[in-house]
Parts: sequence; structure tokens; C-alpha cells
Amino acid sequence: MEAFEHIAIALAQMILIAACSPLVTGVIQKLKARLQCRSGASVVQPYHDLMKLLRKGTVQSDTASGMFRVLPALVLAATLVAATLVPAVWVPEDRAAAQLPLGDAIVLTGLLALARFLTAIGALDAGGAFGGMGASREMTVGVLVEPVLMLVVFSVALAGGTTDLGRLATHRLAVPSFHAPDLLALLAMLVLLLAETGRIPVDNPDTHLELTMLHEGMLLEHSGPGLACMVLAGHLKQLVMISLVAAIFLPIGLATQLAPYAIALALAAFAAKVLVLSVFLALVESSYAKLRFFRLPQFLGVGFVTGFLALSLRIL
Amino acid sequence: MTPATATELIDDIGGLLLFTMILILGAGQVYRAIYAVAAQSVFLGIAGAVLAAATGNPDLWVIAAITIAIKAIALPWLLLRVVKQIEVRLEIDAVIPISMTLVIAGAIVVLSFYLAASLGAVRQSITGDALPVGVALMLLGVLVMVSRRKALTQMVGLFAAENGIFFTAMAVSQGMPLIIEIGVILDVILGALVMGILVLRVRSSVDADIADLEELRG
Repeated sequence: MEAFEHIAIALAQMILIAACSPLVTGVIQKLKARLQCRSGASVVQPYHDLMKLLRKGTVQSDTASGMFRVLPALVLAATLVAATLVPAVWVPEDRAAAQLPLGDAIVLTGLLALARFLTAIGALDAGGAFGGMGASREMTVGVLVEPVLMLVVFSVALAGGTTDLGRLATHRLAVPSFHAPDLLALLAMLVLLLAETGRIPVDNPDTHLELTMLHEGMLLEHSGPGLACMVLAGHLKQLVMISLVAAIFLPIGLATQLAPYAIALALAAFAAKVLVLSVFLALVESSYAKLRFFRLPQFLGVGFVTGFLALSLRIL
Repeated sequence: MTPATATELIDDIGGLLLFTMILILGAGQVYRAIYAVAAQSVFLGIAGAVLAAATGNPDLWVIAAITIAIKAIALPWLLLRVVKQIEVRLEIDAVIPISMTLVIAGAIVVLSFYLAASLGAVRQSITGDALPVGVALMLLGVLVMVSRRKALTQMVGLFAAENGIFFTAMAVSQGMPLIIEIGVILDVILGALVMGILVLRVRSSVDADIADLEELRG
């Protein structure tokens, strides 16, 4: 019985994250527009875009194989499964309670890497030059970004004694700690957040200028519902990363019981945390210029060394 | 403030000092490095205030105030002024690639933490990890000085190294005599002034930079 409950809650959190993710993108874009003294599109604009794409037909490159058609669904599926693993609103109260092996932080990293790989494969499959270039760059960024995520996760997991995200959040909820390794891990995670959400020092989400785009370049050959899947997967990945930061570093307000009051409080806390991180993203994006691609290792190197220190300070 | 809270705060500030040091090392432009070293000095001042509150040593309050006023405001302002006057190329000119420097930096921090473990007796109750952090900051400051070509970034490295020494001295000895601390600060100001004037003079009279002065020609 408990098992069904866990699955149901994980699915409910996934649906919540999936339903809110375009809204978060909309909010970040609105904030960015206001910071740049523009009025900006409405916060629900990403939903309209998705609906528009879903209504359209699909055009496919002649060189693309049959795989190309299913890839967007696979990418979306991998990201959706990743969303079930993040404790956004509810965590089990008892740390030691037998839990479903739904997956831990390492599976989450793997799923995000899988989504990245599938996106790159799709871009190469279509045979476009920009797709290939975008894919090559995205994989380069991936090489720099994924170790940072692992280092941060290990640093936090060492303190919590588990890599299970739910238990980690429970542990940090029970024993809040803001020691030097935690601070460093949080700072590394913020650098990582910019890279993983494809935001400005690393990638520019608004551009379709051929030579600067990373993620957009890979989506060029997709159209219609397929493109809608890819775009939704992008929104989802962003919110998954934001919720991951919130769950690991700011677990305050997470519901441990299924009481309506606790859930409402947890939802409000989740909204507040997401809003704070969105403001951070919008602020960084409005105050920095996009880095030249060959400067990226330097920027992500700061994140890497910070994550490395977070881990080594925990051990030493 | 209880010693336990103070130790935790000093540890946290040590983490932030290390992060600002990584920012200095990873900065691609001169003014970013200057802002980072200013932020580092602010954290150093806060560390001084925390120690003052924890130990009740009034000298530390004075030192914290002087640190923030001079190292976080006056010296960065001087550096930014020099940057503006000589219209130096804003990108940092590194001897070895910056990503390589970052890797070396990680190794240095681990090394200093490893070495400090053997100095258990010096680690006092209140200071926590201040000793290895201070040693790491000093070595990383030296790393900045040896791996950059421009005099301005070398000055930033000097300030960072000096911050490390200051942090160690403050935390391990729980406040050196005021006269020594003020003497050290005056030294740094003098060094900064001399270097600033030297950079301006060299630039205006021979139009060369530090890296061009490696070999003498008769």
C-alpha cells in the first residue's frame, strides 16, 4: 500500500513540475524584460507557443532516419522521469523508512545525460550543419557540467549518508547545516544552474543567430509536435534543476505529511524558492554578456573547482 | 557569541574566501579580479568582526574596520583608477591557461588542508579551518602573481596573498597587537602606491609592460 502511495506522490510531483515548467520560463522572461525596461510577453506565453506547435504539422529533413521522429518523445520521456525523482513538495518523514527504489541523484544525472545525448543524436541525424555544430558544442558543455553536478551531489551525499534525493532532503530538513562545504556546493550549483538551463554566460535561449546558439541549434530541424516536445523538455529540465537546488539546499517548508495544510504550505514554499532562483537567473542574464565559446571552460572551471573543494573540504 | 557559533562562522567565511579566490583565478578581465579581491576583503573584515565579538578583543574591531575601509574600498578604487588611466587591455594575460591555473588551485587547496592536518596543535578551538584556508589563500595569491603577465593582476594576487596571511594571523593568534596589524596594512598601502605609480610611470615613459622588462638590453 505504501508503495502505491509513493508512486502516486512521485507522479503527482512530476505532473506539478511538468505543468509549471513553461510558467517558470515565462516568469524568467518577464522578469528579464522588466529588468531591461521592456514590457515583455505575458508569463503564459510559453503555453501559447506550445499549443501553437502542437497544432502544426511536421516537416522532416530527407536525410533523417525513422529514429528522428521518435527522438523528441524519448527526450521528453527521459526528462519527465527525471522530474519524478526530485522531491519538490513532499518528502517521507522517516528517513529510514523502506522506500521504493525509484532512483537517486545518480539516476537523475544519468537521465539528464541521456536526454542530452538523444537531443544531440537527433540534431546530427537531421544532417543540418547548425544541428551538428550545436550538438558538438552542447556535448562539450556537457563534459564540463556533468562532473560538477556529480561532485556537488557527492559532497552533499557524504554528509547525508545517502544518494537518494528524498532521503537527502529529509536529512537536511532535520539537520540544517550551512558549513563551508555546503556554501561551496551551493555556489557551484548556482554556476551549474546557469549552464544546465542554457542561460546567458553559457548559452542564449533567445537567440537564433547561427554562430552563438547551442541548444537552439539542435532544435532547428524539429517542427510541429516534435518541436513542442523538445521545447517542453527544455522547460522541464530547467525546473528540474531549479527544484534540485531547492530540495538539496533550501529544504525548508517541504511537507512530510499528506495533510492539506502541510501540502499548501509546501506548495507556497516551493513557489517562493522557484521565484527566488528565477530572479537570480534573470538578474545574471540581464547583467552579463554571453561568453565566447572558448571562454566557457574557464567559467565552468570556476564551478568545477568550487564543487571539487566542496567535496574535498567535506572529506578533509 | 559562543565559541561554537564563532567557529562555524569562521569556517563559512573561510569557504567564501576560497570561493572569491577561485573567482580571482578564473576572472577573464582585470576589473572582475579587482571586484573579487574587494569582496574577499569584505569577507575578511567580517571575519575580523566575528572574531572580535567572540574573543572580546577590542583591537580586532579596529582591524576589521581598517580592513574594510582600506582593503575593500580604497585599494580596489586605486587599482580601478590605474586601469582607467593606462587604458590597459581589459583581458587578463596569463602565462599558463586559466583553466590550468584553476586545476592547480584545486590541488593547492587540498594540499594545504592535508598539510594543516599535521599541525593539529596550532588549530585552536575557535579557529576551525582558518589555518589551512589562510595558507591556501596565500599560496593561491602567489599563484596569481606568477601566472599573470600584467602588473595590475599581479597586484591583485599580492592583495589576495596578504588577505590570506591576515586571515591566518587574525584567527590563529586571536588578534595580533594592533601596532603590528596597522604596520602590515601600511606596508600594503605603500606597496600598492609604489606599484601603482610605477605602472603609470613605466607606461608613460617607455610604453612597456612588466612582461617586456624580462630582459635587459644595453
